[in-house]
Amino acid sequence: MSVDRADVVVIGAGVSGLSSAYFLAKAGKDVLVVDKGIVGGEASGRNGGMVSERVDEPLLIPLAVEATELWTTLDEELGHPTEFTQEGRLQVAVTEAEMGDLLAERDVALRHGIDVALVEPPEIRDMIPGITERTLGGLFFANGGHANTQLTVQAYAWALQDLGGRLYQNTTVTGLRIVDGRVASVETTAGDFAAEFVIGAAGPQTGLLAELVGANVPVAPARVEILATAPVELRFPIALVGNGLYGHQAVRGNLIFGGGAHEWADVELTASPGKPNTPLIRNIARRLAELLPGMADVPVIRSWAGVVEQAPDYRPIIDILECPSNYVVVTASAHGFGISPATGKVVSELVLHGESSIDIRGLGLDRFSGVGRGWREERGWSPVPQRA
Amino acid sequence: MESRPLVVVGAGESGTAAAIEAARAGVQVTLIDENPIPTAMAGLNVPQFFGRRFVSTLGNKAQMLERMTAANDALAEADAAGVEVQLGTCVWGAFRNSDTSRVLEGPQLGLADHERSWLVKYDRLIVATGARDVGVGFAGWNLAGAMGANGAHSLIHHYQALASRRMVVLSTGNLGLRTAEMALDRGIEVAAVVDVSGSARGERALTAALRDKGVKLYTSHTVREAVGRDGEIESVVLVEIDDNCEPVGGTEKEIVADTVCLAIGLAPNVELPSLLGCDLAFDPELGGYVPVHDDWMRTSLEDVFVAGDVAGFHDGMVLDAEIARNQGRLAGVAAAKSLGAIDTPKAVARRNDLKATGTDSKPYDAYSHWRRWLRALLNVGGPDVFACPCEEVTRADLIDLRPPRFLNRQTERTSRPSLKALAKDAPVNPDQVKRLTRAGMGHCQGRLCREQVALLLADASGTDVADMPVMSYRPPVRPLPLRVMWPHDEPDQVRNEWAKWFSPTQQVLG
Repeated sequence: MSVDRADVVVIGAGVSGLSSAYFLAKAGKDVLVVDKGIVGGEASGRNGGMVSERVDEPLLIPLAVEATELWTTLDEELGHPTEFTQEGRLQVAVTEAEMGDLLAERDVALRHGIDVALVEPPEIRDMIPGITERTLGGLFFANGGHANTQLTVQAYAWALQDLGGRLYQNTTVTGLRIVDGRVASVETTAGDFAAEFVIGAAGPQTGLLAELVGANVPVAPARVEILATAPVELRFPIALVGNGLYGHQAVRGNLIFGGGAHEWADVELTASPGKPNTPLIRNIARRLAELLPGMADVPVIRSWAGVVEQAPDYRPIIDILECPSNYVVVTASAHGFGISPATGKVVSELVLHGESSIDIRGLGLDRFSGVGRGWREERGWSPVPQRA
Repeated sequence: MESRPLVVVGAGESGTAAAIEAARAGVQVTLIDENPIPTAMAGLNVPQFFGRRFVSTLGNKAQMLERMTAANDALAEADAAGVEVQLGTCVWGAFRNSDTSRVLEGPQLGLADHERSWLVKYDRLIVATGARDVGVGFAGWNLAGAMGANGAHSLIHHYQALASRRMVVLSTGNLGLRTAEMALDRGIEVAAVVDVSGSARGERALTAALRDKGVKLYTSHTVREAVGRDGEIESVVLVEIDDNCEPVGGTEKEIVADTVCLAIGLAPNVELPSLLGCDLAFDPELGGYVPVHDDWMRTSLEDVFVAGDVAGFHDGMVLDAEIARNQGRLAGVAAAKSLGAIDTPKAVARRNDLKATGTDSKPYDAYSHWRRWLRALLNVGGPDVFACPCEEVTRADLIDLRPPRFLNRQTERTSRPSLKALAKDAPVNPDQVKRLTRAGMGHCQGRLCREQVALLLADASGTDVADMPVMSYRPPVRPLPLRVMWPHDEPDQVRNEWAKWFSPTQQVLG
């Protein structure tokens, strides 16, 4: 096997890894990305494409706000289209309890200077033609939006390659060689790659990958589902959250909505997890028809599932390990797509300068010092037993 | 949830034979067929390539049911054997537990009629879903009047509803020759049968019979374009090709016709085996990816059997329906045996009676034939013809990996890597290309274009088409309106426990 080298080796060709790779290549680093599958083959290419300021998770607001700003020029930045549409994000309430949540989120948003407004049902019906009469109110975030997931992740990849970065698809990591407390090289099915820095951005496999270097990165994989309808005349460019669903109408016209329960799963380091749908898609279809009764005749033409990962507190992890000291952990707890431009910027700054210009307090590994290796079982975040 | 000992999907030759066989062995059988299909779907070429060449009575479900039943004596036989027959019912999903999906009560199908959907569990499943038309593109193949041989057969035999006066048939072989013969029998004029090959394929007797009836055969020819106003085909321009599939100058001839029937070939409808995770293997002589099965027609899943065209289609099967029927009977016996309805010696004896499993005499490699058609059409029609008509993706869009037309392509830096770069590490993945270009992402979910897309990608990237992964199938495998998919049987618990996006500690509800 050949031994090649790069300044930075990124493991995982999803949005977080490729965005990090892009910003590092832009800063002049020789970057190489490996993935056991294809670009965006896992959660990065199969999520709902939502971009938001994450008011639901105040610790993430600085990162998410930076991301929404970067999104506005991302097509030009990368030189390839992402289908990003920034016409806002509307969260509607159909129950009193949800209305209470919206009011609380509005207060948080206002405290952080985020452009947000409460909207009344008549206004909601103007914004989303065909929406249910049952909404009690909504919260409109002017800077929210949506993008095409596969185009976006491929845009990062092509932009990286435009800068001379290398990309090895269908290349599986088989080991990490540690010398003197640093990862000396990444061993793969395409040969070994020596590196100054290694970035583990392996989505649901992030925890298993970290185990190779003896680190405990607590993430639990889970399978989630989403569906798409046939394209119909464009009615609303706004990203929409409500009735237990999140989604949008794509520029092409398809309604793409997901939601509902997830299923905890186990994954393997070197294999792509199965991503079947279940009859849950009927329940999603029902909620979409309830939310948009004016579009109940639109046919569903496809559904898919993705395996995402969650940290115990539902927040991303962006940190450099103490040992090996050149290993960066990046995982986004199922919210990686929207924040991806900022994630890449932060990771590149961590690698280049050891610190980030964006406030990422609360996203480090130190918050899990009390989390033991049996945490998934303790929480009930393990897969249910296989039926006979 | 309802449960059935044996569900047979597809009431064609093989499925009906399977149902009868199993019922006579004492199994309680449910036979499901999606015909008659909703007209809205028919107009979108789903599930069959009808090319909008059907009469309006197709929308009269009662009348169509009557015609279907009248056209299929075996259905009456199945009924007499005690088979529960559900027509007008499609199977849009197939679900079973796996490593990452563990909460189902057992293997189950998603069913729907024109109004509502439901789930049904099964102990054994026989998939007899047939084959579909393979599409290859020429200018104008998105106009009304471009249809498939299988679609024409269905409109004639199931529905008596084919609305065509003058037809050009693309490709000889038994499929094309039989389609022409069938059209003539129904009083449809056949203006030409065209083939890129230098001589007619298929049974000589069929060719001779067509010649006797005055049908002109154009060998070493292809279609340059179909032309017409108001979205309807009015004529077809043929052109002669040389041995390298290049057009011969000055040989164009315009033929008046309202229909172009593509009879290039059929590909097995493997949606349900694929959803269930049955092993599929690529066999170019059987129409591409087919479910791996043993000599009992059992797939890699012990409770799932296949029979008929879905198990692999070749041109010899067009003339001998007994091949498909025998596969059906064998699957019926095997299912009955595995349910304990008959003992093994009896089943083996019956299998010996049936003998033929029908895949031993394949006339030719279908994929080579399709590739030759595609090469000729590409040479004659150029790169700007739609590869995927649903999403209007041209061949050039596809092989240059261009983003969809509705996006502003001006923002690109023009350094886009080629397909070859994408193919550097592993065979090109049609799912990856699909998401970038939208080819195969329309209403028909690649039913019409997936072979063509695979061949174009294979040729452009220097990949063997046999090495390319299958473009994925996902539920619903039939377009299903939200209000139909709506689970009227949803328990209250689902609403009470519905998770907000990644709110804590939810498991999927059963």
